[in-house]
Amino acid sequence: MPRVAVALCFAVSFLIYFLDVAGVAAAQQQVIGAPPEASNMRLVGYNDLQARSAYQPTIHHQGDRWIAYIGHHGGTDAVPDPVNPMTGKAEPNGTSIVDVTDPAHPKYLHHIPGQEGKYESGGAQMVRVCDGKTLPKGDPNAVYMLRAVGSEGHEIWNVADPANPVLVTHIGEGLKDTHKNWWECDTGIAYLVSGAPGWRVRRMTQVYDLSDPAHPAKIRDFGLVGQEPGSTGPVPTELHGPISTGPQGNRVYFGYGTDKGGIMQIVDRDKLLHGPKEPTPENLRYPEISRLTMSAFNGAHTTFPMPGLPIGEFAHDKDGQRRDVVMIVDEAIQNECGEPRQMVWFADVTTETRPMMISSYTVREASGNFCERGGRFGSHSSNESMAPVYYRKLAFIAFFNAGVRALDIRDPYHPREIGYFIPSITPATDKRCVTVEGGERCKVAIQTNNVETDDRGYIYAVDRANTGLHILELTGEARAIAGLP
Amino acid sequence: MRRFSAIVIAVLAFGALSGVAAYQKMRPQAASAGGDHWQEVAWPYPRDGWPAGRAFRCDDCGNDIELYVRPKIGFCNCDTGVADDDEVDRVADLDLISERYAPLAPGKVIRVADMSGRSRAYDLDMAGGVRHRAVGIAVSHRCDVLVAVVQGRARTDELQHAALQFLQTGEMKHWMMAALGGG
Repeated sequence: MPRVAVALCFAVSFLIYFLDVAGVAAAQQQVIGAPPEASNMRLVGYNDLQARSAYQPTIHHQGDRWIAYIGHHGGTDAVPDPVNPMTGKAEPNGTSIVDVTDPAHPKYLHHIPGQEGKYESGGAQMVRVCDGKTLPKGDPNAVYMLRAVGSEGHEIWNVADPANPVLVTHIGEGLKDTHKNWWECDTGIAYLVSGAPGWRVRRMTQVYDLSDPAHPAKIRDFGLVGQEPGSTGPVPTELHGPISTGPQGNRVYFGYGTDKGGIMQIVDRDKLLHGPKEPTPENLRYPEISRLTMSAFNGAHTTFPMPGLPIGEFAHDKDGQRRDVVMIVDEAIQNECGEPRQMVWFADVTTETRPMMISSYTVREASGNFCERGGRFGSHSSNESMAPVYYRKLAFIAFFNAGVRALDIRDPYHPREIGYFIPSITPATDKRCVTVEGGERCKVAIQTNNVETDDRGYIYAVDRANTGLHILELTGEARAIAGLP
Repeated sequence: MRRFSAIVIAVLAFGALSGVAAYQKMRPQAASAGGDHWQEVAWPYPRDGWPAGRAFRCDDCGNDIELYVRPKIGFCNCDTGVADDDEVDRVADLDLISERYAPLAPGKVIRVADMSGRSRAYDLDMAGGVRHRAVGIAVSHRCDVLVAVVQGRARTDELQHAALQFLQTGEMKHWMMAALGGG
């Protein structure tokens, strides 16, 4: 009898194994017309962004209006230059400008064409906005939008009238690439992610004084030792983007890598701006305070600082009740889980020379069979607004086919998901393919690429697979944590 | 009942053995891999951001030569491929062999298994002050890159010739294309 039981046990295991291999396990692939999946988040408004693949959204309060500026990747093989219905012309993807004053009825105002090219090779992916009245030498009547236009360089536009933007200036010649810039509006210092000629990487930092946007002034080039012109040996992972805490915080947090070999570099801003500028190994090391070298499995796409965070659990400790924390977000690159999981990490940088990873967060794959849905699954980016409504309380993570995830980060030693929203797909949602046995197999899934918040508490999610812009709000417990009515 | 359980166990055992046999057949060949003088050896490097590749040693190539080859999926610029020597410096796995290497000359355009890219010769500063020469090779296929580095005490033109001749064998071409997704 025991032998029979063992045999049956084997047989059942065998059956389960084959069912699993055959893909019988339920896959929740999205279908057009199905409702969004949500918890403690709700859709308020939507715009299709002319079915352009979206990257960085920046929401700016100008006058009595709220304007969303959204960077785009290049077009697709099927539609390299989508038609702008407002002009009737085919335009390479660039920057969408959308009035979101009434978030339930966003109004598309203008599209500024970007660089010709498909997917990551085209468009104008990154956007930052500063008021002229805030910049030290800006035109007080102007609103300046800084955008990265692929290898064509960087541009600054006056978007005081967002429906009729005017080009102010162009920065950078002969660049290999550009990417996620940071611009301090109160000083005008900009950290432009560029691929300067001679440097050994596509992306490094060019520091500019853009306090007078009409007259950009170069300060220096910066990167990791080994990336500079003339160096030999291994080339450190290229930059993805920096975030500065300005002259008050005097720190710039640089994130290197996307899905591999990540490095978070902590830099003394004052030394960076005023130290020796020639890109020698010694000069490049001078402003660095420390770096956190991550696993070869993960990159550092976004390095979002949260200094002085009070930790409830440590409230009665005699020391260390407040911690300086940096949230590090990796970027998933491969479709259908073709790489190690890319996720969110929290680093305690209170003792700056010894930063330490303290916790992590990922969406549970089994909660939606995300590896089978198609497209990328994993993190990409976080909101970067430091407006009080969410700062140091809640963070929003773009997680590709798992949509937007809302995290309670008040205790970053124990981050907790408290909401999510996975938008519905539409006929515009582009397919994502993998190679299987020499052929392409494609699926259609939402690919929430970036997320941003505004001072009112609305959450803006944009889709890499051409689905558009989803404007969300919190409900339930998540809304209560934010203190929203 | 006893006969039934015996049959079930026999079927399961047969299935398991078949599975093991199929797995063994799928694995890369552990010994010779197409070239007359090249022998496959264990991948000698610790795990990094990319899965391990295949390593080969040629004992009869005049000097001892070693070749390391692996795919890097999703690494390459989809439009421009391996466009310049900086790309070869970055991707060609030279840092696995030594942290100290310097290019000897500008690289060259090459084709391997219908994939185009570049190769570049390097001087390697090995442990103990020993100097080796190496040739880094990077060729692209769609958004992926296939990298190889060959190193030894031979001249760089000899290293490159030996490596390219081996990589052009039918078995290696077949493996490389399969490793890059088969298409």
